[in-house]
Amino acid sequence: MSLEITQGTPVEISEERALTDSRRQMVLNMGPQHPSTHGVMRVVLTLEGETIVDCDPVLGYLHRGVEKLGETHRYSQFVPWTDRTDYVAAPSNNLGYILAVEKLCGIEAPERATYWRMVMGELARLASHLVWLGTHALDIGALSMSLYCFRERELILDIFETFCGARLTTNMMEMGGFSRPIPEQLPGMVRDFCNVFPKMQAEYETLLSSNPIWLSRTRGVGVIEPEAAISYSLTGACLRGSGINYDVRKATPYLYYDRMEFEVPLGTRGDVYDRYLVRMEEMRQSISIIEQCMDQMPTDGPLALTESPYVIPEHDNVMKTAEDMQRHFIWVIKGFSPPKGEVYQAIEHSKGELGYYLVSDGTPIPYRVRLRTPDFVNLQSLPYMAQGAALADVVALIGTIDIVLGSVDR
Amino acid sequence: MAEEEHTGGPADSPGRRIWDTGYWGPTVPEEHPAIQAVREKFPEAYVDAVNFRDEMTLRVELPALREVVGFLRDDPSLRYNLLSDLTAVDMLRLRDNPRFDVVVQLYSIPRRQRLRVKAGFNDGDPVPSMVPLYQGANWLEREAYDMFGIVFEGHPDLRRMLLPDDWDEGHPLRKDYPLRGYREYVQPGFENPAPRVRSRFRRP
Amino acid sequence: MGIEDRFEKSILTTSVDSVFNWARRSSLWWLQFGLACCAIEMISAAMPRYDLAERFGMLYRASPRQADLMIVSGTVTKKMAPVVRQLYDQMSEPKWVVSMGSCANIGGPFDTYAVVQGVDQVIPVDVYVPGCPPVPEALYFGILELQNKVIKYDTIAKKQGPDEAEAYREESRAEAQAELGPRR
Repeated sequence: MSLEITQGTPVEISEERALTDSRRQMVLNMGPQHPSTHGVMRVVLTLEGETIVDCDPVLGYLHRGVEKLGETHRYSQFVPWTDRTDYVAAPSNNLGYILAVEKLCGIEAPERATYWRMVMGELARLASHLVWLGTHALDIGALSMSLYCFRERELILDIFETFCGARLTTNMMEMGGFSRPIPEQLPGMVRDFCNVFPKMQAEYETLLSSNPIWLSRTRGVGVIEPEAAISYSLTGACLRGSGINYDVRKATPYLYYDRMEFEVPLGTRGDVYDRYLVRMEEMRQSISIIEQCMDQMPTDGPLALTESPYVIPEHDNVMKTAEDMQRHFIWVIKGFSPPKGEVYQAIEHSKGELGYYLVSDGTPIPYRVRLRTPDFVNLQSLPYMAQGAALADVVALIGTIDIVLGSVDR
Repeated sequence: MAEEEHTGGPADSPGRRIWDTGYWGPTVPEEHPAIQAVREKFPEAYVDAVNFRDEMTLRVELPALREVVGFLRDDPSLRYNLLSDLTAVDMLRLRDNPRFDVVVQLYSIPRRQRLRVKAGFNDGDPVPSMVPLYQGANWLEREAYDMFGIVFEGHPDLRRMLLPDDWDEGHPLRKDYPLRGYREYVQPGFENPAPRVRSRFRRP
Repeated sequence: MGIEDRFEKSILTTSVDSVFNWARRSSLWWLQFGLACCAIEMISAAMPRYDLAERFGMLYRASPRQADLMIVSGTVTKKMAPVVRQLYDQMSEPKWVVSMGSCANIGGPFDTYAVVQGVDQVIPVDVYVPGCPPVPEALYFGILELQNKVIKYDTIAKKQGPDEAEAYREESRAEAQAELGPRR
């Protein structure tokens, strides 16, 4: 008995129909609990086979109202929340906020404290880049990179812990400098790290830079043209990977970056691989900056302003003199009142331009605190890069932007 | 916002103010090329220019905001080609009218100079969107809509950015919105919020 | 018949619970699920210096179906809370929850419009680890406390199911409160 074939009208599948048929598109929801979105981000992808047609990032799963908190607390009280926006490079966030408030008040930290601020900022950049490298490589498939990167990151966290007692949320910068003395062993630790780290970084590069899997996953993926990079307001390695020379440290130097000698690495093709190379070179430059700081730094000298009304008085004097005790009381209970006005302070964060925009109405509480976080703005380029890319490239694209969700959502 | 006398600190040493960096161009509005160019090109739209801590703030009328920013971007001698930031400030407690300020921070990569452009408007006024000029304004404007309820005219996709889509408690960064919101989290399937352990330590 | 000796050497009398709980305690697989700052410390704990994963037989899984421990590491916002609840519901019984850090415990420094004040408003919690963020050693301590709790888990006497599990946790929480005094 022969098998009867059901009769029916055969469907003609032309190429045109295959492309326009809406049933051929599939919506894929990635996140918010996905190991490769670096936190709680959700990406709604519209796919046609393996190709991405549309990409819509959904943010806000970690929106905690940091800006609103800033508007209800005194200037010096807000510093701990800046730690918790970009938690992999907390000292940089402290630095940006404190520089903005200091600009508003019109004070400047002493030389030694400024050098230490630079050292801590650069160490934070290294720590952030190490987390980026580890997780980015882990997403693309190089598991062992994350083990190596987190091993070296612990050395940086040890330095932070020695300096201020906390590993991650450091809260180390204060108005007018540092109120705590520098531990004796700290300069040695920083120098040891500077000696050890270049060898480690060479190890990473032997593992990745010419690895065929790494090259095929990153070369030619996520290309951003220079014009598009500017139009999308990208900053940091995403902009420099496209070959545009904008580094806040060089363009509008803050602290003592005008005294430092360092290069701004630039990419040529603007793809994921170029941004990887740019960040690797940035790490080398950071080490060089730290070494220059340690060489130029005065070994003695004050770590904080003492006379300014905007700065907390020295702890020893508070217990001895009546004026300082009075000032301390007022500083703690009432806070300090900067003049009316508004400032925008940009610093080069590990992810790009971190801007703090403060509006003061003359009271001890800021009227408006605005965090211009680099990765929130950089993440806008994800739909642009994902158009026409393969599904598997999405994790590479998210990794290359280098996002931290606390900083994206605030 | 007049400059006030500064007291204390070594920064006050004569002849040097620490904020004198030159990153915002000349400190006198009459000498600033961008301000002068805008005054000549848009005499009706120009309101004033304020310098505080070396930072130049140009205030313009709202309807001309996009033209002014577009002019600043395209003029070959100005070229403010990077939109650093776009945000808003609720001026409810500082002045009566207009209520909001939209703040645009511009940066010129070739000239290495910053400029801030502001425009005031009242609740419900449509603000010209910057998306036709800068793609990067897209999410920044969505965030401003989410946080302040500002409607941007000409924005391709004005939705909530950070808060949930079904958020019905208003716009949190407005000054009349309480820090803790209007109600606590209620789990789906329950009628009342779970008991709050921390209530004893809440500030009034 | 001569088999008495053999029994004495190779058979150990115990309850099923003891065996099961011993196995459960020594192979807690946790849901790879980071929320905020504490997630970085959780990753640090799993990485070479602290080596939480290998040391206690723990393993992180990306799928809730394969996990039996959820470490809530970070702030739970109002937008995220339904997702956390769904992930918890998707995990297979028996399951445990460690609340890591102040944010997950009581909301932490974020007493704002967008944040749920403690993950225990959403899911039942077994162990609270204080700190902002807790150092990896503190997470260790929390995990060891949880292991002490897992070994007491009563499989046969308790009926299986989410309602019973939740009631059991409420009961054990009341016990702990009676022991420690009221939470402040």
